[in-house]
Amino acid sequence: MTQGDVEFCVRFPVHGNLKNWWRGVWQEQVSCPDSSVGCGTLFLLEIGPNGLVPIHAYDWNDGLFDVTWAENNENVLVTGAGDGQILVWDTTQPKGPIKAMKEHQKEVNSVHWSQTRADNLVVSGSWDKTIKTWDIFQTRSLSTFVGHEAIVYCVRWSPHIPGCIASASGDHTLRIWDVRRPDYAKTVIPAHQAEILTCDWSKYDQNMLFSGSVDCMVRGWDIRNPRTPVCELVGHKYAVRRVKTSPYAGNILASCSYDFTVRIWDTLQPLPLEILEHHSEFVYGLDFSVHKQGEMADCSWDEMIRVYTPKSLSHSLR
Amino acid sequence: MERLKVTLGHLSVRGDEDTPNKGREFVQCAGRLKRFPDSPDDVVIISALRTPIGKSRRGGFKDTFTDDMLAAVFKATLEKTKLRPEDIGDICVGNVGDPRASVSGRAAQFYSGIPDTVPVMSVNRQCSSGLQAVMNVAGSIKVGQTLLGIGAGVESMTMHRGQELDIPINPKMFENDKARDTLIPMGMTSENVAERFGVSREKQDRFALASQERAARAQKSGAFDEEIVAVTTTVKDKDGNEKSVTVSKDEGIRPTTLETLLKLRPAFKEGGSTTAGNSSQVSDGAAAVLLARRSEANRRSLPVFGVLRGYAVAGCPPDIMGIGPAVAIPELLKKTGLTVADIEIFEINEAFASQAAYCVEKLGIPHEKVNPLGGAIALGHPLGCTGARQIATLLHELKRRGKRAYGVVSMCMGTGMGAAALIEYPGPS
Repeated sequence: MTQGDVEFCVRFPVHGNLKNWWRGVWQEQVSCPDSSVGCGTLFLLEIGPNGLVPIHAYDWNDGLFDVTWAENNENVLVTGAGDGQILVWDTTQPKGPIKAMKEHQKEVNSVHWSQTRADNLVVSGSWDKTIKTWDIFQTRSLSTFVGHEAIVYCVRWSPHIPGCIASASGDHTLRIWDVRRPDYAKTVIPAHQAEILTCDWSKYDQNMLFSGSVDCMVRGWDIRNPRTPVCELVGHKYAVRRVKTSPYAGNILASCSYDFTVRIWDTLQPLPLEILEHHSEFVYGLDFSVHKQGEMADCSWDEMIRVYTPKSLSHSLR
Repeated sequence: MERLKVTLGHLSVRGDEDTPNKGREFVQCAGRLKRFPDSPDDVVIISALRTPIGKSRRGGFKDTFTDDMLAAVFKATLEKTKLRPEDIGDICVGNVGDPRASVSGRAAQFYSGIPDTVPVMSVNRQCSSGLQAVMNVAGSIKVGQTLLGIGAGVESMTMHRGQELDIPINPKMFENDKARDTLIPMGMTSENVAERFGVSREKQDRFALASQERAARAQKSGAFDEEIVAVTTTVKDKDGNEKSVTVSKDEGIRPTTLETLLKLRPAFKEGGSTTAGNSSQVSDGAAAVLLARRSEANRRSLPVFGVLRGYAVAGCPPDIMGIGPAVAIPELLKKTGLTVADIEIFEINEAFASQAAYCVEKLGIPHEKVNPLGGAIALGHPLGCTGARQIATLLHELKRRGKRAYGVVSMCMGTGMGAAALIEYPGPS
């Protein structure tokens, strides 16, 4: 496959002022093509006058698959690791994670900090088919959500409904969970006829959820009536790795794919607003800045992290 | 190794523009009705309405112009769906005999308050014109020309009948057998079907009787009330005095018996078997179907009444044009992967009992599934209207039955063709 570094995820911080933006980035090193063990690094990067500058790098002895910033502490990050651990990092501490919690039996593919003010919990989704919720001040997980029949690729807290989690899985379903009922999903949506690698909630409509799949499509769902997708965004030539909804406009979302492209969509239009072809490998990670309208970051197996404002979104500024 | 395998799995599907059937596979549900996956780009039916069908030259619409009949169904469609007239994206009107069909369509849109910014066209595919108009709009929705439109059909057989007889015919047509056969009067093609496939007079009359009995029962029980738009119009008596009338019921339905039918004289050929009693009636009427892309219907919160799942048109010899459904329906079933058993109702136009009975037998369709509310022999066959009228009758009957089901609308066409459409009633919402 690929030798060298491959980036998997970028996250704009939720805190910070305009001069000092932090990005949490991790990457996995694949030592040789047939190796199943890699090493991971959590990078912190800053936008300075000379562009993107790495200001710290934390190594870990397995791949780091996902990272999320704490919503209540601007120095804290949580990552999901290939060895099944949930790692808590403090950017004021120069060495290693301040906490490691091992419960997942396999790779942790997704971590997400809760979006509603009341609870400061982390949700994780793993290749072991389970979802777990965590309070980082405790040593054990709070609950384990079972039901998915394959890898859980993505877990996302609802930004509107307290205690509500969406998950995307290799079992071709999206599931909606209530934190109080870990034993069964509230809603199961057979959203695609292929593995679903990613999902994200609309930040403007509490019932809207978007999914991205190996079938190359992004679909929008109204969770009250999930029999038919509300929209279908077709164009990617290979699996959609990540979808992200814009924090600034309810109908804008971005998707990145194994086809090396990032696409910006208006969910009301069938064709993308813009196709970005600035990578030469799988594009794995994608995020919108919450501080600067239209600004995005992405990362790819071509070892490049790009921070930019797409043309199609810079217009909407004015 | 597992990580490599998982990542390779993500690359198993290649997005390709050239996959028209992608996602068209059935969602398998063991032991249950096959189900097509719903997609935002499905073409769905929001409403299907029609005027009553009037008797040509003697009935309530004998002095009503095609544009007036059309306007009645356009207006009713807008009222029922609460759409604003400017929201209509395109209109297609099916018609056979009106030499000014496109102009009539344009006039009708103005009478019903649809602004001049909304385009209109007409289509003539003989007796399938009403269905073809619906399918033209469906096609326009599929290619993204519009998100919402009306497919309609209209015919005044009182006013537009046989004008083409005055138009000169290219003498060359008589030198080519097939071209010449397209000029054979429809009644004669019915005799040809009856003779060639051995459809007896009695079989035809029994078929006609069933149509009359079913239609009478349906009318009496009010089964047509929901699809019919009552039309207030004027009729002239023989002295030219105008009188306002409201037409609210189909005029062709009449009580009859097998004995009465068997006594009728052949209408087209000495010693033939096609009579006025076992042929479709000459009629006036209009129907309109409102279609939308599913995503648009959802966006506007318009309830989905039906879903178009397939369409087939196939040709057959012009001298036995009546067998059209027997070639089009198998084509449709092949395309959609369904069987006769999967279909709840077949609306097969009864141009003549000879051809309809032949098609039903040839396809092995149980009689109770065919035209359960009667067909053109009882209701009438306003040529360009019929296809759209059948959709209205089909969907309202499926709705009455109350569960998700498939229906087929099919008809034969002069010059030798058959058309068939598969429509799903999605069940009560």
